[in-house]
Amino acid sequence: MSIDWITVAAQIANFLVLVWLLKRFLYRPILDGIDAREVEIRQRMQEAVQAKEQAQSVEQAYQDKVQALNVAQSQMTETIRKTAEEQRDVLLAEAQKRLNQEHATWQAHLDDEAQKYIEKMHKAGAQALLLLTRKALKDLADEDLEARIAHHLVGKIKPMLPDLGRAAGRASEAVITSQATLPVTVEGELTTRLQRYFPQIAIRFEVNEKQAPGIVLRIGGAELEWTVASYIDSLDAVMQEQLATGIDATGKVP
Amino acid sequence: MNLSPDQTVVFSAWGIPINATVFYTWVVMVLLTGVAIVITRNLRPDVPPNRWRTTLEVIVQGIESQIEEVAGRRERHLLYFAGTLFLFVAVSNLLLVVPGFAPPTASLSTTTALALSVLIAVPLFGITSRGLGGYLKTYIQPSFIMLPFNIISEFSRGISLAIRLYGNIMSGAVIAAILLSVAPFFFPVVMDVLGLLTGLIQAYIFAILATVYISGATAPPSNSEKETP
Repeated sequence: MSIDWITVAAQIANFLVLVWLLKRFLYRPILDGIDAREVEIRQRMQEAVQAKEQAQSVEQAYQDKVQALNVAQSQMTETIRKTAEEQRDVLLAEAQKRLNQEHATWQAHLDDEAQKYIEKMHKAGAQALLLLTRKALKDLADEDLEARIAHHLVGKIKPMLPDLGRAAGRASEAVITSQATLPVTVEGELTTRLQRYFPQIAIRFEVNEKQAPGIVLRIGGAELEWTVASYIDSLDAVMQEQLATGIDATGKVP
Repeated sequence: MNLSPDQTVVFSAWGIPINATVFYTWVVMVLLTGVAIVITRNLRPDVPPNRWRTTLEVIVQGIESQIEEVAGRRERHLLYFAGTLFLFVAVSNLLLVVPGFAPPTASLSTTTALALSVLIAVPLFGITSRGLGGYLKTYIQPSFIMLPFNIISEFSRGISLAIRLYGNIMSGAVIAAILLSVAPFFFPVVMDVLGLLTGLIQAYIFAILATVYISGATAPPSNSEKETP
């Protein structure tokens, strides 16, 4: 057992060289690698935490947006429903109004048509009544209707003479109107008779096609007439009474 | 029978005889450095670690954690020194099983060199850490009377380190050689296994003791030390 001091010196040098070599090629690379990996892992974990937080914030924002959209959708649906209801009510009201208007128009038209028909019926009834009366008068008494009307009108003047005289006042003309031109004989008789009562008054004859068949006398503010209009009214009343009480096909009243 | 590899000259270079101790030390150095270079050549953060790199990381981190446990702090320079001590002694002792390999740690010159290295490293680390005054003050702690004892203690540490390592390794090799001559087929295996175990333990003890000595010299002064004039 001996110590070789040259070997000792060499071994000290060798050991120091080995320390440097291992420091250079082992410890530093390994420890630096571990440190770098730790830094990288820490950085990645930090990034992961940040990414997680970011994902959570994005998720929260998404949830908020979805919730806002749901709320907006509900509000929009409610608004649309209300608008639709209002629009439906408006349309229904307009339709009802238009229907009422059309109904009123239709009713007015119907009334107008009915009025026209009644007038037509009155006219036809009057003509028929006049024709039948004229025919029956001719057949039974061999007389003209117009002459009998004139005679009847003149007959009505006599009892009303004072009233007519007051009404005539200072009138200088009396007007006799008829639906058709009166026969000359009838005009003559009327002129003769009237001038017997009112000698100062001139007689004038007029034709009014709109007037009911018959004769109308106007002196000043007085008017005296005989037309079939009153008979037509009586005919209406009789027919309505007959229809109200009922009438069978044979014309017998039950 | 040569008890020390110092007496075995392997070859001569430029007239200088290279004995087995130095030669096999170079072998161990080349082996350690070569393995380190090969494994750490592709050491980049973007390259995933392989099993060899992981093994080296486990070894280095194990040494570092042991030093941290003993010293109470992480210190790179202490790792370089004590870690190299451990690796050199451990690899030298483990290569005992290789036929024809003479472990350099079986040479008293090597163990003396290592002990001297520790002996020199202790004041160097202490002065670096505490400053020259702070380090020298530790020799008169707790009182001036302790100065000769502290100096003796400092040298006895180195001597004990050297003798302990040398004795264990050399005795293991000598006993193996003796037993080989007595029972050549059985005892060498048992002794080799025992040698591996004791070799690793000795490496551990040597490195730990060196760490203890150096960390004791570099430890920050306690409160009682600060109060002492």
